[in-house]
Parts: sequence; structure tokens; C-alpha cells
Amino acid sequence: MNLIYTSDQQELIDAADGFFTGEHTVEYMRQFLETDTSDTTPSLWDNFAELGLLGLMAPEDNGGLAQDFSVMAAIAEMAGNVALTEPLIDMAGISVPVLAEMGATDELNGVVSGALKVLPVNGLSGMVSHADEADMFLIGEGGKARLIDKNNVTLTPLKSIDPLRKLFKISQAGDGLDEIDQRGTILNAAFLCGLSKRMVTLSVDYAKDREQFGKQIGSFQAIKHQLANVHTQIEFTRPIVQLAASQMGRCVHQAKISAIDTAMLAAETAIQVHGGMGYTFEVSLHMFMKRAWALCGEWGDRNHHINILETLILADDAELGPGTTFSY
Amino acid sequence: MDAVFSDEQNGFRQEVRDWLSANVPNDRLPSLDTQEGFDLHRDWERKLHAGNWGMVTWPEEFGGRGCSLTDWLIFEEEYYRADAPLRVSQNGIFLLGPTIMEYGTDAQKERFLKPMAAGDEIWAQAWSEPGAGSDMAAIRSKAVRDGDEYVISGQKIWSSRAVFADWCFGLFRTDPESSRHHGLSKILVPLDSPGLTVRPIAQLDGDPGFAELFFDEVRVPVENLLGPENGGWGVAMATAGFERGLLLRSPARFQAAAARLVKLYKQNANRLSSGIKEQVLQAWGDTERFTAATYALVAQVDSGASISSEASANKIFWSEMDRAMHRTAMTIMGMHAELEEGDGAIENGRWLDGYMFSLAGPIYAGTNEIQRNILAERVLGLPRQ
Repeated sequence: MNLIYTSDQQELIDAADGFFTGEHTVEYMRQFLETDTSDTTPSLWDNFAELGLLGLMAPEDNGGLAQDFSVMAAIAEMAGNVALTEPLIDMAGISVPVLAEMGATDELNGVVSGALKVLPVNGLSGMVSHADEADMFLIGEGGKARLIDKNNVTLTPLKSIDPLRKLFKISQAGDGLDEIDQRGTILNAAFLCGLSKRMVTLSVDYAKDREQFGKQIGSFQAIKHQLANVHTQIEFTRPIVQLAASQMGRCVHQAKISAIDTAMLAAETAIQVHGGMGYTFEVSLHMFMKRAWALCGEWGDRNHHINILETLILADDAELGPGTTFSY
Repeated sequence: MDAVFSDEQNGFRQEVRDWLSANVPNDRLPSLDTQEGFDLHRDWERKLHAGNWGMVTWPEEFGGRGCSLTDWLIFEEEYYRADAPLRVSQNGIFLLGPTIMEYGTDAQKERFLKPMAAGDEIWAQAWSEPGAGSDMAAIRSKAVRDGDEYVISGQKIWSSRAVFADWCFGLFRTDPESSRHHGLSKILVPLDSPGLTVRPIAQLDGDPGFAELFFDEVRVPVENLLGPENGGWGVAMATAGFERGLLLRSPARFQAAAARLVKLYKQNANRLSSGIKEQVLQAWGDTERFTAATYALVAQVDSGASISSEASANKIFWSEMDRAMHRTAMTIMGMHAELEEGDGAIENGRWLDGYMFSLAGPIYAGTNEIQRNILAERVLGLPRQ
């Protein structure tokens, strides 16, 4: 029992964080607001392959780093902190381990090298971001993982409020698979934590900068306490997400629910702290806020996870109370 | 990142479980804020100590087992699973004890830790004053050096356990020229000292859970100074860190309450409105979040990190979770919620007691408003007022 990353793991996480914050800046993101075809948009994909991020979870024999899923979850949080636009996390954290489990070596090697894009599909929504860039899709059907070529599905563009999310409805989504959905849920929750954290950071920066009544507004308790509330919720969401990444089980659902509640609180608090500026397209906050709204419903929305949790926790044979948190 | 208990940890858990199942009293003890209940809880502390279970994280020389903090969490899980009595010695073992280990002289460790662990000396806190609550740096009670003694005069309030306890620890102004958090010292005082008057204060439930202390030229030897003279603020902050952070409220007590809440819900489900179900799930989920976060924090501390301002988030979370959980129970009990005991009273009024106690959580150990200021200023970096 040791819920802490080793120094080697932390180094990997910090390196990813450094790359994301260095390259995936708000200025970088703004380029996407003005373009809408993939031919003309910039991409960090080659860098992801070079940095080993795509192969983070792949076996060493396949050119990967064979890291734990919990490391992937920490990196997903770092990706959330910059509202990463490209589907690195789903591909590296879901497709790669499932391809390895399937023994799909060619596809796995392709993904790790950056040459092939295999996007996982959540059977509940059938909605896939950046689906137009995928070569193949990974679905769960009849209790098995299955690969589908892009030529065998139809993609219908959808219009998300998040301008950086190129969203499509896929004609064949499958009926889900734990190996895909649980990983998707956890990475989504971790990403939401990162978004929440960034929204707090943006708000703190704004509250230190903006003056009213001759003072920085961040010196007022009315502002301080709201941001302290969000901070507290984040501090008590990240660990359950990390635990879910380590042991799966019923805490996966709790992790997602907490991440949703925290992200919605973070978004509402952030816009309140930003005042009128937060309501503009010009200020960066909206890019993080809209991503949070979008991701709250992805990989199982709140209702979905609450309903599952209800059956698990209210069951007659449910094991509850002290000493029942781990190994569930 | 490893979420599996080792064989040693599982063995330790079993050992704790076996001892508790053989020794925990069958009936719940009377409130520790009554003389009878206090004495019975003291007896229980002595029994724990005799079994070497008083404070498992303490060094063996002081009656502990030298266990890690992770072991401590396991111990607590078994303790609350067994529904063992509340710890009447908590001010001492959870707060003052660790402070003495950090700041005390060898003689002080020898003098105070053993009787504290044994339940022979029960400690009360003496920090707040009528004019110094959230603004603790406004303390006015003074301790004047006179040869080998301090002469203490002034007034303390909200002193938990002081009515029946043996000793108190508090902050006193030792430099008369000083102001705010300078010139304060942490001093240990026997509650039966001449010149010290203890006036019980009845709490919400009518029992004297805390007291007002009047010091009229109370003399204590200078050996009772803990830490540096005039450096008491730093010593007090260390104690406050223990109180807000890990030791005072481990997750197990809340997990036990959440499990009871699920049971209460199921017994009453057919007459409850649909919204209650989600409140019950929220209570359970929040205790899981608190557990995961505490194990993560303990892993950091066991690897050498220290906690300071982060403890404020902890205190906000557990106290507000506890209050929300008990309010849900009150809602479920509905027309029976007001019944303290006897006919119609659910679990003999235990939820009602718990609800009243939960209302104190966001107030004691530094109000949650103060905790939010600390987080905003020292963790988030917002400007001071």
C-alpha cells in the first residue's frame, strides 16, 4: 500500500507536463479557433511519438515504456490542464493496452510509432472526437474488443459547443466493453481534474490582476472562499481517480462523479470570478470551460455512473464501512 | 502507485481485529462528557495501553509499537469497525503527544508521554480566549517569569475535556511588550493548580464538554515550557497541523457512519423521497474520496514530506462531509429525528448526538472560514487582506 508515484514515474509525468505547458499554450489553441479543416491545422502528433507518450503503456517489445495505467492517468490530468486538443490520451491510454491484450501487434506498433491512429469508441454515446483523423476504430461488441477500418463506418459531423472538439457520430459504436469503458472513464475523470485545476489557476491569476475598490479582487474573502472550495474539491477528487486507475472496480464510478461535480463547480466559480470578462470569447477561460462541459458527458454521464453505483452500494451484500475501500 | 495491502499489513489488521473483538465493551459507554462516562473511557484507555494499542505509531519506549502511519490507518479502520469507544485522551495522544515528540526535551518526553499513553493523565486544550477565537494571535493571558516559575494570569475558553481532565496545554504571552503572534509560549499546566478555576460550560446536549478556565496567579515550574520561550506560535501551529490534518480525524469514523447511513436508508427506503438516495450515495462516495486522499497523504508523509497549509483542505472536507451526512440521517428519520431515547428513538438518539457534534466540526480546530483563508493565501497565492 503506497499511493504515491515513484521518482521514475514522477519524472515521466513531469516531462509530459513540461511538454504540454510549453507547446500547447492558449496561443497554440487559438489557431484552431480560426481554422476548421484538419489539413491546415497544426499537430503535435510527431512529438507525442518521439516523447514516447503514444507507447507509454505498450510492452517494451513493441517499443513502449510498459508503464502502469496510474501513470497514464496522471498524464491525462496534465493534458487536461492544457485542454489538449488531440486524442493522445484515449489512444495511448485505451487503444494501446487493449491492442496489446488483443495481440494486434501490427496495429500496436503502428500506433506507438505515430503512423497509425486507432481511436476507441464509447458505446454509450457513439460520439468520437477527431474521428476524421482515425485509420481504425476500436469498439467493444459482444464482450470482445474489435477493430473496424475507417472505410467500413460512416462519420457524421456533430456541432459541439467546444470549438476545439471536432466531433463525429460513428455509424457503428458497439455495446461497450469493460476494458475500454473503465479506462475511458478514469482518463476522462483525470482530464477533468486537470481542467478544473487550470480553471482555478486562470481565476487566481485574474483575481490578482483585476482591481476594484482600489484593491486586487483576490484579496476579498468572497473570492478567496469560492476558490478555496474548488481547490478542496480538486484535492479530494484526484486521489480517488488515482486509486481508480490503480485498482478499477467501484471507485471508477465514484471517480467520474466526483470529477464531474468538481469540474462543473470549477467552471461556474471561474466564470463568476472573471466577471463579465469570463463571458467573452476573447478571454481564454471559455476553452477550458466548454471542454469541461463536453467531457462531463463522455464515457458515461453522471446519471449512468450514479445508477451503477446505486446498484453496487445499495445491494444487500455490498461491503461497506472501514477497510472496504481497497480491492474494490 | 500500489493500492494493495502487504501480507504484513493484513497480518497487523488481523491482530488488531482479534484484540478488539475480545476487548471492546459490548454496550456503548455513556458520554465522555459526564463524570461516569469520562471514568469509563479512561478505563478503556488503560485497557488499550495494557494491550499496547494506545498509540501504535509512537516509539516503543513510550508505549507504542513504532508503526507507520499506514498501519495507523489500518488500526483506525479496525477500531471503528469494532465500534470501539471514543478516545477521551485524544487531545493528548493525537495533538500534544506528537508536539512533545517534536519540540519537547528528553525530560519532558519521559515525564509526559508515558502517563499520556497510559490514560493516567488526560489532557485538555487551552488556546482560545474570550477575545481570541479565530484571531488567536490576540491572546492576552500572560505568563510572567518569576525565578524558576511562570506566574499565569488570564482566561481561556472552549477548553475541551477540561472539566474532568488532569492537565491542559495552552498559549500564553510571555513577553509583555509583544503583540500578535510574537512573544507567546506554549506552557503545560496541571488543572488542579492553586489559583486555577474551571467553570464547566454545558454544550448543546447539556453535558459539560468544555469549560472556561480562570488563571489567578497560577504558578508552574519553567520546565513546563514546551519549545522555545516566546516561540510558542510555531509550536502551536505544529499542533494545529496535527489537529486539522491526519491524526484527529482518520477516514474510518466517517466510513463507519456512512455504512450506518446506508443501512438507515434501506430500513426506511419505502417512505423516502427520491432525492434522498443520491444524498446517501454522496455520503458514501465522499468517505471513499476522503479515504483515498488520506492514504495518498500518508504515503507522502511516510516518504518524508511534511504537511502544513494543505491540512486546511482536509479539515474543510471532513467536517462538512460529516455535517452533510448527519443532516441526511436527520432527514431520513423525519418525525423521529428529535427523539433522544426510549420509544421511537432510532439507535437511541445516536444520529442526533452525531448531528449536534458534526455542527462543531466546522468551528473547532480553526473555523472553516479561517481554513479557507489559509488555502486561498498560502496555497493558491491570493493576496492577504
